[in-house]
Amino acid sequence: MLSININLIVAFALALVGVLIYRSHLISTLLCLEGIILSLFILITLLITHFHIFSISILPLILLVFSACEAGVGLALLVKISTTHGNDYIQNLNLLQC
Amino acid sequence: METMLIFVLSLMLIFGFVAFASKPSPVYGGLSLVVSGGLGCAIIVSLNSTFLGLIVFLIYLGGMLVVFGYTAAMATEEYPESWVDNMVAFSMLLLSLLMEMVWLMVSGEVEVVMAVELFDSLGNYCVGQDWNGVSLLYGCGGWAMVLLGWILFITILVVLEVIRGL
Repeated sequence: MLSININLIVAFALALVGVLIYRSHLISTLLCLEGIILSLFILITLLITHFHIFSISILPLILLVFSACEAGVGLALLVKISTTHGNDYIQNLNLLQC
Repeated sequence: METMLIFVLSLMLIFGFVAFASKPSPVYGGLSLVVSGGLGCAIIVSLNSTFLGLIVFLIYLGGMLVVFGYTAAMATEEYPESWVDNMVAFSMLLLSLLMEMVWLMVSGEVEVVMAVELFDSLGNYCVGQDWNGVSLLYGCGGWAMVLLGWILFITILVVLEVIRGL
């Protein structure tokens, strides 16, 4: 496996761990989600360039369209939470605790 | 140094990812995501896929991250937390460097494929072909274009319904 691919897979894993851990803000989790999408974009583009499969060059674009939809819905939820609680701290999301 | 450029760029991309995955204040996270996007574009353009690098800058940085930047600027606080007292950032940095050392010891050398030939082994012309590949979205993939437009329209309605309170 090439070294660039290893570095990008490590970057994907770092952003995934960033989505899963909780610190103070909710928008940081959405930023880590965007990081996941960025690493996937670069990985697909490296695949296209390395193996000369230029027919699937539309796949990064389709990935970005769906990522834009996902970011929009995530930000809408963030705005709703911020309207209800005044800030976007994760410690306010405690309705489902036992 | 010239042959190791792409490897060094991908290494700096890992540092940029560590900077926002350790989740400091959102302003610093957005800044490091912008830097990571720029480095990712540099990696893609170094391999002669110039259209997809342009897409990263225009659509990803210029479209999506601007929205995140404005939202983070609205939610800014008085003392934003940076990476100084952040144990998560330090441990992520150590683990990624350890991962690189292990990879270098296991694989023996760093091999970077920077050769982009004019013709590949089958005789196809392959410089600048990503522009031609994307044009398939307008040609035989026209149905995909219509479907994506419909999905974006439905997403706007979903966002408005979520904001309104359903």
